[in-house]
Amino acid sequence: MHIGIFKNYDMKSIPSNSIVVLLARIFLGGLFVVASLDKITDPQAFANAILQYKVVGPTFAMLTATILPSLELLCGLSLIIGLYPRGCALLLTVMLVGFTILVASALFRGLDISCGCFTQDPNASKINLQKILENCGLIILSVWLLFNKNQGSSLLQLFTKRQDNSV
Amino acid sequence: MRQTFYEALLLIAAAIILGFAYTYATKQGFFAKTQPAPAVALANIDMISLDQARGAFESRQSVFVDARHEFDFLAGHIQGAVNIPLKMYGTLQSRLGGVAKDKLLIVYCDGAECNSSIELSIKLLESGFTNVKVFFGGWQEWKSAGLPTEQ
Repeated sequence: MHIGIFKNYDMKSIPSNSIVVLLARIFLGGLFVVASLDKITDPQAFANAILQYKVVGPTFAMLTATILPSLELLCGLSLIIGLYPRGCALLLTVMLVGFTILVASALFRGLDISCGCFTQDPNASKINLQKILENCGLIILSVWLLFNKNQGSSLLQLFTKRQDNSV
Repeated sequence: MRQTFYEALLLIAAAIILGFAYTYATKQGFFAKTQPAPAVALANIDMISLDQARGAFESRQSVFVDARHEFDFLAGHIQGAVNIPLKMYGTLQSRLGGVAKDKLLIVYCDGAECNSSIELSIKLLESGFTNVKVFFGGWQEWKSAGLPTEQ
């Protein structure tokens, strides 16, 4: 069985779990890459979104808006290509738990605000219970990736292997 | 597990460097600079001085409108001011919903180097407010004069 980038790689040598882990990494990593883009393009708007949660002051909000999008982007990309997958999974878990607590506390305090997760548009849909459930699902996925003995195939290794095979 | 923590720390360090390098290169976030006011707009808007702004404040016959980002507004603003960030005018103009159209509105932003107060004034005039003035010295001049502020 040969598919796309794996066409020069013997798929039988990869346990099926590796493919599942790889797909999970691509899904979770891709999600964080997409989430980071809007924040990176407008840190000021993201800082405003953080301030709406009324948890931190302006300076810390701007500091977060400066660093967090880059961290999301780096973790997302690293997870996709399989570079430091456990380190990425750890950071994504910590971030997701933090986001979930933040959203839950905002809901508890009755704040009617938009999430600021994927878009900084103030007219975007407001935070709700569904957001928390979505995050819980992602937390389960990232924890599974963190503690899974099989870290899945590294795309870097696959490409390297492909080159080796073609020589 | 120790290896995992090292990987995470490495990623955090890389993100800090990348985040600050990017915002520095694009002049955003902590490194943002305000744009100089356009001369064309300056010619069409009534400007008031610090003394005039103070007089209007003390008379309590006016509403101060802060055109800066909420981020800056929360850090400190003229006492009693209403925050309508320029970019969010469409969404937040309702904050002036209870204000009479002929009420004196004094719009300000950070100071002489920003133009969001002028742009917001134009939007307010277009929305039907008839008595809109710009306090061009803005937040910096007000704060330096030791006039009433709040956070």
